Amino acid sequence: MRIVCPYCGDRDTEEFIFRGEALGRHPGLNSDEYAMFEHVYHRTNLSGKTSEHWYHVQGCRNWILVERDTLTHTIYSARLAKDGES
Amino acid sequence: MILKGIGYVDEGLQIEERQNVAFASILARKNQNGETIGELIGGSLREGPLTTILGDTVYIGTGPGSWLATSSTKATDFADNLATKLAGRASVSDQSGAYCVTRITGDRARHLLQRGVAINLHPDVFTTGCAATTVIAHIAVVIWQIDISPTYDIATFRTYSPDFRHWLAHSWRSF
Amino acid sequence: MSRRAEGGLVDRSKPLRFTFDGRDYQGFEGDTLASALIANDVKLVARSFKYHRPRGILTAGADEPNALVTLGNGAYRTPNTRATTVPLYDGLTAVSQNRWPSLAFDLLAVNQLASPLFVAGFYYKTFMRPAWFWEKVYEPIIRRAAGLGSLSIQPDPDCYDREHAFCDLLVIGGGAAGLAAALTAARAGLRVILADDDMWLGGSLLGERLEIDGRQSADWALDRTRELAGMPNVSLLTRTSVFGIYDGCEYTAFQQLSNDGAPASEGTPRQRLWKIIARRSILATGATEQPLVFGGNDRPGVMMASAVSTYVNRFAALPGRRAVVVTCSDSGWQSALDIQSAGIEVIALVDTRATEHSLASEVSRRGAKIFLGARVRDAFGKTLNRVEIELIDGSIRSLDADLLAMAGAWRPNIGLGAALGAKPVWCESLQSFRLADTPPGLVAAGAANGHYSAAAALTDGVAKAVEQANELGRSITDAPGFQTSEQLASAHQTWGTSSSRTKAFVDFQNDVTDKDVQLAAQEGFVSVEHLKRYTTLGMATDQGMTSQLNGHALLAEATGRTVGEVGTIRARPPVRPVAIGTLAGMHRGMHFRPTRRTASHELAEALGASFVDVGQWKRAQWFARLDEEDWQDAVNREVRQTRSRVGICDVSTLGKIDVHGDHAGILLDRLYINGFSQLAVGKARYGVMLREDGHVLDDGTVTRFAQDNYYITTTTANAARVMQHIDYARQVLWPELDAQAVSVTEQWSTFAIAGPQSRALLQAAFPDVDLSNMAMPFMRAMRFRWNGYEVRIFRISFSGELAFEVSVSAMVGDQLITYLFEVGEQFGVIPYGTEALGVMRIEKGHVAGNELNGQTTAADLGLGKMMSTKKDFIGRIMAQRPGLIDPSRPALVGLKPIDRTDALRSGGHLFAEGAPFSPANDQGYVTSSAYSATLGHSIALGMLAHGRERCGERVVVHNPLRGGDVLAEVCNPVFYDPEGNRLRG
Repeated sequence: MRIVCPYCGDRDTEEFIFRGEALGRHPGLNSDEYAMFEHVYHRTNLSGKTSEHWYHVQGCRNWILVERDTLTHTIYSARLAKDGES
Repeated sequence: MILKGIGYVDEGLQIEERQNVAFASILARKNQNGETIGELIGGSLREGPLTTILGDTVYIGTGPGSWLATSSTKATDFADNLATKLAGRASVSDQSGAYCVTRITGDRARHLLQRGVAINLHPDVFTTGCAATTVIAHIAVVIWQIDISPTYDIATFRTYSPDFRHWLAHSWRSF
Repeated sequence: MSRRAEGGLVDRSKPLRFTFDGRDYQGFEGDTLASALIANDVKLVARSFKYHRPRGILTAGADEPNALVTLGNGAYRTPNTRATTVPLYDGLTAVSQNRWPSLAFDLLAVNQLASPLFVAGFYYKTFMRPAWFWEKVYEPIIRRAAGLGSLSIQPDPDCYDREHAFCDLLVIGGGAAGLAAALTAARAGLRVILADDDMWLGGSLLGERLEIDGRQSADWALDRTRELAGMPNVSLLTRTSVFGIYDGCEYTAFQQLSNDGAPASEGTPRQRLWKIIARRSILATGATEQPLVFGGNDRPGVMMASAVSTYVNRFAALPGRRAVVVTCSDSGWQSALDIQSAGIEVIALVDTRATEHSLASEVSRRGAKIFLGARVRDAFGKTLNRVEIELIDGSIRSLDADLLAMAGAWRPNIGLGAALGAKPVWCESLQSFRLADTPPGLVAAGAANGHYSAAAALTDGVAKAVEQANELGRSITDAPGFQTSEQLASAHQTWGTSSSRTKAFVDFQNDVTDKDVQLAAQEGFVSVEHLKRYTTLGMATDQGMTSQLNGHALLAEATGRTVGEVGTIRARPPVRPVAIGTLAGMHRGMHFRPTRRTASHELAEALGASFVDVGQWKRAQWFARLDEEDWQDAVNREVRQTRSRVGICDVSTLGKIDVHGDHAGILLDRLYINGFSQLAVGKARYGVMLREDGHVLDDGTVTRFAQDNYYITTTTANAARVMQHIDYARQVLWPELDAQAVSVTEQWSTFAIAGPQSRALLQAAFPDVDLSNMAMPFMRAMRFRWNGYEVRIFRISFSGELAFEVSVSAMVGDQLITYLFEVGEQFGVIPYGTEALGVMRIEKGHVAGNELNGQTTAADLGLGKMMSTKKDFIGRIMAQRPGLIDPSRPALVGLKPIDRTDALRSGGHLFAEGAPFSPANDQGYVTSSAYSATLGHSIALGMLAHGRERCGERVVVHNPLRGGDVLAEVCNPVFYDPEGNRLRG
């Protein structure tokens, strides 16, 4: 499988570490226990298009937000996570 | 087998381990970029996986807002000088001890390197001034192309360099 | 000898010698092992898997299920090789498999008598009782009888390498369609890779008597090969099998470079693994002729009709003298003509269809009797000698023949195209499954797309190349066209015969008969996927190329469905068998993964170190002297000498990270449980990081070198994980912070100098630096220059002695360590390794990897007070969950054996004295243990329920795996110098 890293270009997924579902906004370090619990443990685990976090460890060392279809493996987009959701 | 510190010469291929090369990592601080950082060292640093040459220093783009600076000048002062010049706009860390550099040049250089990298090195898409941070045989590498012979420099972490040499010997064997 | 005097693609001026089952034979360059055997009248080449039936060569290609031989000797022995795909080479030695004592006289053929027991699924029903028979009787017998060929068990002497390639168009298969497609695309300037598993391009064109543009098809293929080879934008890969397709337009292939069974020439790998990224691809893998199912269809002498054509046309080898041809397709008629033209008598041509054929007069003019609407019932002979056919009126005819060429319908080789979720669909007109959906970027062309005649295949190849070029934004307006001689291509497959007397085979390699398929259906295995696994049909190395279709059709019949309703199985990569060595490449033995060595490695070797693997690192474990009895003596000495004088240990393997920026301190505050934004410049502090779920992630030392510059260390094992964690925090969680981080693990060599003489040693080494207790108190750090290089000294102690850590650029790490040992000689310095390091830290109750096991919290480890109440940090909230602050949780304790001569063992579990050893009574476990030279007895650290309140109590350390339970006393985990006086001197 390959991912087009926004900085490095088309690369083998061997260069990346898959963290999991992109978790949306962090609840904040002083959030309430239930919001933090949801954030740490709960996943929507969609069948279809999902957002994921991949770390380009053997490349630019940036976290990439990838939109991928878990059924067809089509990758729709790959953006730098630090540039935000937009 | 390629020996430490010695080069190898064959038909269409020359491999040399460069000694005494200085390295420093440059990370842009908030709201800074290749242009604002470049102002302090005499020229804009190109963004993207490309090299920028200013004086005797090559700046290799290794990530958004990050470069690896390298030079054949005296290793012990390189990072400090750079840190002083870039203070406030970029964070500099000495990496002279971290890397070994191998220079590969000749007609067969591209073919040899293509055996290891899963990136297209065809001159149409990768040429002088292009760089890539990637992996060869489970070893992290930084590659940049110096001229169209083609000549490439490949930086590997010091403790992985013996295994990188082994990959070179193994891949060159079947030419 | 059965070799035609002229013709074919073999080079009669280059004879090659080979042996088969110990006998010498001769063939020519251009032969395969199979064609050379046929030319030498060798009919019997194998014994079948289950029933040990005599078998001959069935096909002329990679679809061969029978002719599996073992090539070569010694370490080069290569079993289960298809004789049909081995190019003949001088000195080739091959032996047949799965027979004893010989191929001709195989005692194990007695299996045939027991065959009613060996029907499909027999292993689910037999070998069950009595239960104890399994290990002693059944399993050994089965093991000896299982498998076909056997391995040499010696290490693989060959080497393998790897290449990457990128192209616009990958053409898989170099037959008519593949050549046409490659040409079309290449002439238009696309970058093309054409791969074919044969030694030459051309595919079935090499075995047919067909004209293309006025040239014989084989010559035309050679011309096109030359043309393609001369184009700089084309790569031709022969003897290359594309075996996998993966997401992201990635294809894998293996290329055969040497001869199997023989040593490769110097520097030549046996195989090369190709990873090809192709923007578009064309699957031109052709089609496979299907066998017909009738009694005795596995007899040596029964062959695929197209294979017979190939043997007589391409290899000029004659598989028999008197032939019967049975067909349900037009190509079978063409094969009959090929056979007759080669000088073999065709006694009869049996067409299962009832309609008159256009070639009938031609075929009968040459002496063949035509039987329409007829079928073959049985074939007889250890090697074929008689064929029984059933005519349209029901009467039976017996024919003496030594060759039976069968031509079923053609099945497109869609293997690769059915991976990645593309489901094949039944095509009524083709009587086969074909691709409807295809993987992204791939289209089928030619016979693989159901276009069986050469003309149609060529046209389709061109059309698909134009289509794919269009997809790439290139429009081709002058696509080539080719003129071929007439070729018909219709078929109507018959799926089996109900009235045979002897065994009728569906899967030849796994010995699956038509009765097995019926049995499976009877027993309820009505899905194709179940049929496959219950009967093993299609599971052999030929992957069902000549068996699946018949099997599915018989299943359809047995369950009252159409073949389309039954469907077909999914294929997965690899579609061909791939050697593990090819996948491994150079990563074998010591080079399975990189080995990392520290700067002091050579010196350590010279000093007699024994090394241990710590992840990818080699670390010195101890330095045994010649006069020492064993490792424990060495370790005890190292501990004693370090605690009484001075010792040096290489600790370069720890992770090191530079954290910069105006908000560097804030970032660290959020990562660690304790505070760092207020840490003074020039000071170091121990820090603990939690995971988001509140458990400890890692620990290390944080030093502040400037207002906006910190230097942190991690444990060796977690270096990469912590870097990832920090990057996640600053890029994903808080990108608004002005904080940068970069790994400097490789930049610094670091040595621990510990012991009462450590300051004296370092002072002597660096006389211009003030290292007194005033200038350099505990937890202080400083930087200075040594020979131009920056040196950093940290006053921190893992051992509990007066100690320092010294770092210098890894470029001169070996120089520094050598210098320190020179200077240290006057102080009696010794090197110490990871064992002594471990003993000393256990003596001081310092937690390490064993305690940071992912299940412990800071509070469990006695570090709860470090958790700041004035700031937020990752893991704070989850760490406060009731389950994680429960006082009955296992907490860190020290353990001493009551009998001081006993040894405590890591991994032992803790029980109250007298409590039965059951999970309910399990109160904890031992995490680290060592013999303490300082105290003179074994000590341990462990996690014990309510541990903090149980000092002085006795517990049992229970070792169910290794025995030797020990009674122990719970105590303070800091065994030695609990006030820390030695540290702060």
